[in-house]
Amino acid sequence: MNISTRKIVVAGMMIAVSAVLAITGLGYFPVPNLTNDATIMHVPVIIGAVLEGPVVGLLVGLVFGINAYVRYLGLPFFVDQPAWVPILVLFIPRVCIGLVAGWVYLALRRANQTFALALAAILGTIANTALVLGSAIALGLLPVAAVAASLPQALFEIVLAAVITIAVVAAWKQIETGRGGSSV
Amino acid sequence: MEFELLRNVTIGQYIPTNSVIHRLDPRAKLLATLLLGMAISITSSLVTQLLLLLLLLAIAKASRLAVQYVLRGLLPSLRVLIFLFIIQLLFQGWREPSGQILLDWYWLRITEYSLRFVALGVLRVIEFFVLVSLLTLTTPATQLTQGLEILLGPLRRIGLPVHEIALMNMIALRFIPTLAAELEQIMKAQASRGGADGQAPWWRVDVMARARIPLIVPLFITALRRSEELILAMEARGYVSGAQRTRFARFAWTKADTLAILGMLGIYLLAWRMQWPALTYFL
Repeated sequence: MNISTRKIVVAGMMIAVSAVLAITGLGYFPVPNLTNDATIMHVPVIIGAVLEGPVVGLLVGLVFGINAYVRYLGLPFFVDQPAWVPILVLFIPRVCIGLVAGWVYLALRRANQTFALALAAILGTIANTALVLGSAIALGLLPVAAVAASLPQALFEIVLAAVITIAVVAAWKQIETGRGGSSV
Repeated sequence: MEFELLRNVTIGQYIPTNSVIHRLDPRAKLLATLLLGMAISITSSLVTQLLLLLLLLAIAKASRLAVQYVLRGLLPSLRVLIFLFIIQLLFQGWREPSGQILLDWYWLRITEYSLRFVALGVLRVIEFFVLVSLLTLTTPATQLTQGLEILLGPLRRIGLPVHEIALMNMIALRFIPTLAAELEQIMKAQASRGGADGQAPWWRVDVMARARIPLIVPLFITALRRSEELILAMEARGYVSGAQRTRFARFAWTKADTLAILGMLGIYLLAWRMQWPALTYFL
């Protein structure tokens, strides 16, 4: 597999952005919610996937997933569970964010860039939330009511992801072309 | 608005104190970290967890690091953690088997089992954080990457892009403090120009979002700009992806390294096996 320099660097940088958002707390938005805050730490995954393709999305998602795995392994949910459970619930969904976002964008960008960006962000975020909650509920770690409890958080994450993705990619493409306007 | 963002960023910082731990081979440190991580995950005994935590703090002491500095890195995520654990405490009480019920108050139930769960969770999170911080505090990022690359090298046979992933991680580690500093600058610039300050009740999420987007978007743009510069710099220095490369730095494996690995292996086995009969009540 030959991954170009460009892809490596952008992937690495997006990982750094994700980490900075987490460390500085800027990525956490308190939401009237029973579970945790809405976060935007998955947005760098989406932006990486949109700008450089699903491969970069996969790479960033991989690191994001490992991060989530290490960070949430200690949660009481997983204390007596077999080893593959945290991998399925924490790791796999994050890997999918980048792939879903990248493919959706590739498929739709010829039609309408803004729409493609928005949908990539929305579906990427939904993929994450749906897979995490879905697998947790299917394995009995969370009650089905958890879906309703996390709804404000999920909705907020989706909207934020779409807004930020469009804003960043629009501004970036504008800068890249150097001209006054862009197609977005 | 808090400007000193980097003050609490301990992950990714390297502090050269040239202690015994610092001088270990990075491959040994990585394997030791892995073994300790497994030890932390594998044990459900509170006593063992406490001992592991003490061990970690002892290693921090041995590396001539201020323990207080290491723990300070936990501060940013503290609020989220506390919230998570309160939620856990509320919901885990209804799990069976419950053991002794400590508090039964209408819908709130705290049992011996749930308390243990939550305590284990807290300890595990702290331990993992200290473990990873120790690794990055005692090993420069370049060594970490090279060590990881060597350790995972055999996986290249099955098509895994080991070198690329290692490089990607190194870039990320290198730029985290840089981006945090840039973010600080952006915040100050926005504040000095009278930007939105986002002071609102906590449930007015739209106000908070509106206040933060002018920080987040420039952060991304800065990051992407730096990426372009880095790509240019790498290619200008002749970096070609997929090419065969040799290594400039070689690592020498010493007795101290073997000792470290065997020690951690021992600890892992102990954690796996250790049950403290006299103290089963707390386990």
